Amino acid sequence: MPHRLGAMQTLPSPMRRFQENDLVDYCIVGVGSAGGVLVQRLARAGFRVVALEAGPFWDTEKDWVSDEKGSHELYWNDLRITGGTDPLALGSNNCGKGVGGGSVHWAAFAPRFHPSDFRVYSEDGVGVDWPMSYWDLKPYYELLEREMPVAGPAWFPWGDPHGHPYGPHPLSGRGDVLVRGCTKLGIRSVAGGPVAILSASHGDRPHCIYRGFCIQGCKVGAKASTLITHVPNAISHGAEIRAHAMASRVSVRQDGRVDGVFYFDREGKEQFQRARAVIVSGYAIETPRLLLNSACPGHRQGLANSSGTLGKYLMAQAGNVVAGRFEELIRLYKAPPAHALSEEFYETDPRRGFARGFAIQTVGPLPVAFAKQMVAAMGAWGWGMRRVMMDYNHWSTLGVLGEILPWEDNCVELAEEKDQHGLPVAKVTFNLHDNDKKLIEFGKQKVMEIMWAAGAKQVVQESRFAHLVGAARMGRDPSTSVVDKFGRTHDIPNLFVCDGSILPTQGSANPGLTIQALAARTADYLIKQGDAIFFSNRRDLSEPGIRYDLSPPYTRFKGNPRIA
Amino acid sequence: MTKKSLPYLATGGDLKDLEQPGFYPGYSTMAQKRSWEDATRKTVTKRVTETAPIRFFSEKEATLLRAVIDRVMPQDDRAEERTIPILSVLDERLYKNSLNGFRYEDMPPDREAYRLAIKAIEEMAQHRFQQSFHALTVHWQELILMSLHDGKPEPANAAWQEMPVRRFWAMLMEDCVTAYYSHPWAWDEIGFGGPAYPRGYMRLENGLPEPWEKDERRYEWNAPVDSLSELREESASKRGSEHDHKGSH
Ligand SMILES: Cc1cc2nc3c(=O)[nH]c(=O)nc-3n(C[C@H](O)[C@H](O)[C@H](O)COP(=O)(O)OP(=O)(O)OC[C@H]3O[C@@H](n4cnc5c(N)ncnc54)[C@H](O)[C@@H]3O)c2cc1C
Ligand code: SF4
Repeated sequence: MPHRLGAMQTLPSPMRRFQENDLVDYCIVGVGSAGGVLVQRLARAGFRVVALEAGPFWDTEKDWVSDEKGSHELYWNDLRITGGTDPLALGSNNCGKGVGGGSVHWAAFAPRFHPSDFRVYSEDGVGVDWPMSYWDLKPYYELLEREMPVAGPAWFPWGDPHGHPYGPHPLSGRGDVLVRGCTKLGIRSVAGGPVAILSASHGDRPHCIYRGFCIQGCKVGAKASTLITHVPNAISHGAEIRAHAMASRVSVRQDGRVDGVFYFDREGKEQFQRARAVIVSGYAIETPRLLLNSACPGHRQGLANSSGTLGKYLMAQAGNVVAGRFEELIRLYKAPPAHALSEEFYETDPRRGFARGFAIQTVGPLPVAFAKQMVAAMGAWGWGMRRVMMDYNHWSTLGVLGEILPWEDNCVELAEEKDQHGLPVAKVTFNLHDNDKKLIEFGKQKVMEIMWAAGAKQVVQESRFAHLVGAARMGRDPSTSVVDKFGRTHDIPNLFVCDGSILPTQGSANPGLTIQALAARTADYLIKQGDAIFFSNRRDLSEPGIRYDLSPPYTRFKGNPRIA
Repeated sequence: MTKKSLPYLATGGDLKDLEQPGFYPGYSTMAQKRSWEDATRKTVTKRVTETAPIRFFSEKEATLLRAVIDRVMPQDDRAEERTIPILSVLDERLYKNSLNGFRYEDMPPDREAYRLAIKAIEEMAQHRFQQSFHALTVHWQELILMSLHDGKPEPANAAWQEMPVRRFWAMLMEDCVTAYYSHPWAWDEIGFGGPAYPRGYMRLENGLPEPWEKDERRYEWNAPVDSLSELREESASKRGSEHDHKGSH
């Protein structure tokens, strides 16, 4: 049986295998949202690339199931310690493990950040400004919206208004609840996207069949994950994806440059991959963990940490879920959970008494997830649990997606505990601050109001968090940030970070599209710099110019609506 | 099942040995299994046909925990042969030490947490009612569990100084609902469509059933009249989450 990627696509074979002592140009750690795009770009541009991935190389037909419990292995289930005043749930709530990373189990909401997100300090006096503007990233948003591609409304009215290359999805019961409630209250909403799920077939990928198992991995291949959108093309262009390879340490030479990555292979044996440059794309927890675990003489506090900010300014978005019970049937399990949204409360409104804002989005918990929500939201147990679940089909759910600001005390450090390889695990500390609490309270009330307005007979809510980013933030000042605007560490000229960890602030848009757009931009930079990355310590911060010729097949210049 | 809630009234009458509780009589997700692809069919079928042996808990621990589970995820209304295995699923998770990816800094490792809690619950039963937990009446069992649910263990027990009772409660509930609501018989009970690849769904709006799904047929449903675990108004308001999980956007 060929290795399947969705219902139609198969993995290009054979895949190139580098020899044990081969020196490659780039060793990328982690093939997730960012890593998948990077490896594809760099391979296409002709670099010799090996990407190490701690988890398996999924065969979607054999390994994935349309089943909640059976999808446990998609997540990073290894131990992490979580604490602080508002400890974050990790595991299934954050990153993946396996080729595709978090893009395998994301819901695929794909809104852009707003122009204001890049200048929150200038505009609102909170957080920090990005070392780049929305307009630097905009062409990459448009590019990735085609590469994934993103389906959604022809007119998305918030931030920098834009359209989407694929048409919106048909309305689902829970999308209808959002639109109904918002309309009652005079709040604008959109439905059918923006979501990186195919509303029509695309190359060798079929369209969505509305089965609602997006978070369990899309067996159909309709939902974008780098496993199916970018990795196959990377392999066709000579990249090696080495699965079951857990990076343990980035190695530093006498002259202060990195020369490769130590990793544990499938058998638990330590190996070394030599490389002329290293890019860490391991997610906002594993990236700082790896760099901290790489501490060595000359870098006592971890690699790229002369500023002391590595691991700090970790962010999560507020993700309160509001559930409403309706007289009529909803059947919230149908259609992609990511379906309708409103960004009417995204920007700062001084009258609310806090900075920044939130989005309102549909969520679609399947029975197990919904029952867990009812434990928290209603204190349901025993017969009460049985009763509320008998009404499962009468409930609809909406989520707050709120911007939490970057705080120094929210961080990733190393714990005492070790993992199966003997490596210290990550300890994550998370505390809500005053602005965050006010924002969450307001957002929660607003979404409950929308749920009532939609006609719910009962409304409950559960507080929680989503989308970890930050912890290796980019910035202009090497004393307050870890990397520059292209992801190059301030301390080590041939060591890069490229994933959600470089975000200085997070807006209230889901981060996936932005993470992939940044990866494509970093790739363009690396390609433009060419061999200079491998030899020179000079830091050239000029813009690379976007490369439109490196997109995966079927996506080049395909259908981005041009709107005024 | 250790002890049924019988003879207390429920479901508008006596608790019956129902093939299938819920409002979707005659609906069967398993009847659809031919339309699922292999991997899913295998995973779900195995859940129905195979029950893992108890390997992590000792016999004594299992007896107590079974009694706890029968109260926090009661199935008195289900016929014996249609009871959904929960303890064995939990036991298997702990036996394999399969984690959910994290541990709260104020919690011991999952395995220890369960052992600690089992010991504590037995001591609470002995202290308050001078009997083993599993031998208590349903009402007394519920009184003890209710106090854990409320975060105010009655009587107090040293174990709850070592781990926050709310976190243990959340973990216990999550393990129980994961086992119960991942079972196709529970899907039949609540009218969940179940796996749908490669076929998919076609009626997305207005809660309409697919041709193979059933429409809801509601009737008055009541939990046993004396049960403490029936939803109470105040428990539904203003609860924060002690244990967050699967984000969905
Ligand atoms: C349930 C859920 C739903 C979500 N829905 C959305 C959504 O709708 N829209 C959205 O934009 N975002 C969503 N997200 C968030 C999104 O998935 C992440 O923000 C995104 O995937 C992060 O990308 P990344 O590149 O930083 O890391 P990841 O995609 O997590 O990739 C990191 C990869 O690195 C690997 N790795 C880590 N450490 C090592 C190591 N030491 N050695 C080798 N490999 C390593 C990991 O195994 C993983 O594959 C969701 C997340 C969850 C949990
Ligand atoms: S709903 Fe659509 S995108 Fe989601 S898993 Fe099903 S087919 Fe894939």
